[in-house]
Amino acid sequence: MKRNRMKVDIASILVLLFAAGAQVTPAQESHIGGITGEATRGRHLYRRYCVGCHGPLGDGRGENAPWVDPKPRDFVTGTFKCRSTPSGELPTDEDLFKSVTRGLVNSNMPPWLPLTEQQRADLVAYVKTFSSRFREEKPSAPVEVPSEPAADQQSIQRGSELYQKMNCWSCHGKEGHGDGPSAQTLVDNRGYPIPPFDFSAGTRFKCGESNQDLYRILMTGLDGTPMPSSSSALTPAQTWDLVHYLRALQINAKYSKASSPPRTGGSVALNKQLVRRPEHADLF
Amino acid sequence: MFVFVLGMLLSLRPPARAIPAFARKYDLPCSACHEAWPKLNDFGIAFRDRGYQLGNEKDSPIWQNPSYWPITFRITPQWHRESSSNNVVDTVPGDPALGQTFQNVTTDGFDFGGLDIWAAGTLYKDISFSVLPSSDSSGSFHFENVFVRFDNLLGNRWMNVKVGKFELDNLVSEKRMLFLSNNGGFYQVYHYTPFREAQFLASNPLSTQVSTAFGLGDNQLGVELSGHSENSYTRYSVALLSSNEGNPGLPNRTYDGWVSFNHGFQVGKVGVQRVGAFAYFGERPTFLNTSLGAPVLGEGLGNKSFYRAGLTGLFYIKKLDFSTVFVHGWDNVFLGTGTAANAPLPVGARAPTWNGGFIETHFTYSPQLVFVQRNEFVRMSRQVFSTDPHDLGDVDAYSFGLRYYPFMFSRAGLALHAEYSLVRAYKSASPLPTSASPFGPDLRTSSVFFGLDFAF
Amino acid sequence: MGTKTRYLHLAAATAIALSATPGSPSRSAAIERKSSAAKAASSGHSEGHEAGTVSGTVRVIGAQTAAARINMAADPACLRIHPTPMMSEEVVTEANGALKNVIVYISNGVGNRSFDPPKEPAVFEQKGCSYSPRVLGMQASQSLQIVNLDPTSHNIHPVPQNNREWNIIQPPGSSPIAETFTREEIIPVRCNVHPWMKGYIAVFKHPYFAITKEDGTFDLKDVPPGEYMIQAWHEKYGVLTQKVTLEGNQTKVLEFVFKP
Repeated sequence: MKRNRMKVDIASILVLLFAAGAQVTPAQESHIGGITGEATRGRHLYRRYCVGCHGPLGDGRGENAPWVDPKPRDFVTGTFKCRSTPSGELPTDEDLFKSVTRGLVNSNMPPWLPLTEQQRADLVAYVKTFSSRFREEKPSAPVEVPSEPAADQQSIQRGSELYQKMNCWSCHGKEGHGDGPSAQTLVDNRGYPIPPFDFSAGTRFKCGESNQDLYRILMTGLDGTPMPSSSSALTPAQTWDLVHYLRALQINAKYSKASSPPRTGGSVALNKQLVRRPEHADLF
Repeated sequence: MFVFVLGMLLSLRPPARAIPAFARKYDLPCSACHEAWPKLNDFGIAFRDRGYQLGNEKDSPIWQNPSYWPITFRITPQWHRESSSNNVVDTVPGDPALGQTFQNVTTDGFDFGGLDIWAAGTLYKDISFSVLPSSDSSGSFHFENVFVRFDNLLGNRWMNVKVGKFELDNLVSEKRMLFLSNNGGFYQVYHYTPFREAQFLASNPLSTQVSTAFGLGDNQLGVELSGHSENSYTRYSVALLSSNEGNPGLPNRTYDGWVSFNHGFQVGKVGVQRVGAFAYFGERPTFLNTSLGAPVLGEGLGNKSFYRAGLTGLFYIKKLDFSTVFVHGWDNVFLGTGTAANAPLPVGARAPTWNGGFIETHFTYSPQLVFVQRNEFVRMSRQVFSTDPHDLGDVDAYSFGLRYYPFMFSRAGLALHAEYSLVRAYKSASPLPTSASPFGPDLRTSSVFFGLDFAF
Repeated sequence: MGTKTRYLHLAAATAIALSATPGSPSRSAAIERKSSAAKAASSGHSEGHEAGTVSGTVRVIGAQTAAARINMAADPACLRIHPTPMMSEEVVTEANGALKNVIVYISNGVGNRSFDPPKEPAVFEQKGCSYSPRVLGMQASQSLQIVNLDPTSHNIHPVPQNNREWNIIQPPGSSPIAETFTREEIIPVRCNVHPWMKGYIAVFKHPYFAITKEDGTFDLKDVPPGEYMIQAWHEKYGVLTQKVTLEGNQTKVLEFVFKP
């Protein structure tokens, strides 16, 4: 079994070398700021840290995969939740780097921040070798995040209307508890049940925690999940309104308070009505 | 007497640590947290600093399957060979009257190490715990550690408070070393007692009751405030500890202090380079309060002080890494001579000081194969008596070995462990009874070790 | 094993990507020649005047259950469109078991010939909280136009294996979304907001495919002479395969019968 895998591994490397020729092989590298990650180094790190869940072939079928929920990412399809690029596009190197760094909340993917930047860049380079798409396609330009307008009561109100109109409530629920009428039916692209985000739980988002991150999530969608992209449906101003409304739903959020909307006027009333302490609130 | 010193050192041999219970909880392979278990890597250090939490909002036990039980066992069946030079042996066994001679004594055979039964994890989000009953190979247990830790107080990772019995937080942990043999399985500099002090302790049974030899590697009872940066490259620990060497039952009366700080630098492709400093300030009683000559409730009096201070470093160059420690030690002259504070000091006695250190090298060929070696030394810088040989009680130690992990996954761990270790203690063997010199020749002890180290 | 295949596939795809420039006729002709030489079985690809037709019907016999009622209570907007509940369109049959929404296509025998995609887009509508058509056939790289005619927001979420997966929300009254798929595959399409909405987009490298009508009939037109494998795919009943040898100007009639 193991030998077989190794053979396949060698075969895959040969094929990769053959297909890419002896020229520059961009898919074997990653570029994060001034750092160049190399797949050859990333391979060793992958074996040490990642192989248990994502598997030796990067298909998300590691030995722990049966016990993990949500399931580990399948790198072969090249479909990633956290991107700065439009839905259906490959993520940028930086997107993958950020996912490795921050981990994915409420999953088994921990933040790998304690690894050096170089190590994380190397891992990104190696992860990219699992999907041919990284050799065939290029991610288009990241979605722009314009500067944030004031999170006033009007903006939150407009966001609340958009939340209705865009059917966000169908999954996330009327009050953002993740209990909409379609919530129970949701599956990811591999057919596994996947719950919608519960805004009242107070946790970070899958792909970051700032208002900018939330804006980006709305614009790009989370590929591989039921969460769609709104890039063609909402203007930037509307997206900010929606961000502000969603922030108002996060009554228990304990992080990045600085970038949260001011809780004034009507939003307080709104919050009161939504208060439901999660059973797992922090003690301190 | 020397058997006593040796025995004391052996009994201090720490149980080493790795927790497959965490691997099971988080579905991560041993290699995610350990360079080679039980030695932690950067990710493992951060995990430990966060209070055994990954930070994915799933750390509290409420998220675990109720059948999950955070327990790990570890034990090490082995074959080992212990050799000791310059033993004073009767020329004819059983007949001391016919005279004595120096002889090497070697024993070997199959054996097993003590058992660790370790429970550790979280009681709640940001409240972690550890309980480690540990036995020697005869099955007599002690509690290696017992603590509860409040993590991220006020949401601040620089504030974590731990109460109980725990290891002093230092960059190079003796509990996580990759050596297991009788001679190599502890750091000399973490347990060093000057020759004269050990001699005085051994000749004064009462003083051993009040003042067991201090070891930096010993777990202590107390309260610790610690903190770390988000990636745990910067860390500190301040602790207030009972002056009782971690022995339960209030056998002591004053408090010690511990402080350590270390910082890691990212150096490009080479990795994280960590450097740190630490200091321990303590007091020990020198005599017991007595009633009609018998000790009263174990109350010690006449506290005298001592300190250990040093520097640490962890340096990585690709697959090669170095753990380095330098320690300077000082004991008050009363402790150095085992003299009660209300009694006169021996004539000419001085407070002993010494320096020691080591360089430990690991070559991590892969997460499943690691080669290790260590050079260690202790040098007395001031002997208790100026007439003593300057190298009396100095130590050289050298160890090397390898650990091979035939599989690497997230449920259990097994290591095939091979090791050789040699320790030379200068002029520390007993002199022959006929000898005019109070000091004997060098004492050399060595270990050969082949074992199966497993944890599940 | 599966991986090997995947990588070989990949290498082949890369090779094609490197050598073929779309819209360059001389290039594609060269590929055509190469592939026909390599494939001795598919003889003489002469176009147009000699082409034949494969037609026929698809039926299902036995085990037909009554279509389930769809509960649209989750979205009042959908409920208003269908005051009486809509029935599931998973299996639509007429008398004699004639089966609608079966894709019939050449699965083997076309070789590596490349075909320019049609200029006109394939249109996929969301109408009455349901897809129209439920099963859409299109050629690789053909433009796909997605239209929302409903007074509610839908998300269009194809879940492909080989193509890019995307997921876009389309509120009422927005302009059509233009997308495309580049690889052959039958792709399930879901609206996660309305879990009952199920559709399929079948993507082929060639134009030899048809979707059966209410009466279960299909026509594959302008098929050059050759030896082909013809498959009929139904979302519930799976795949049936038949072999057919087509000579010049011939019409072959096939009947596919699903027996679940």
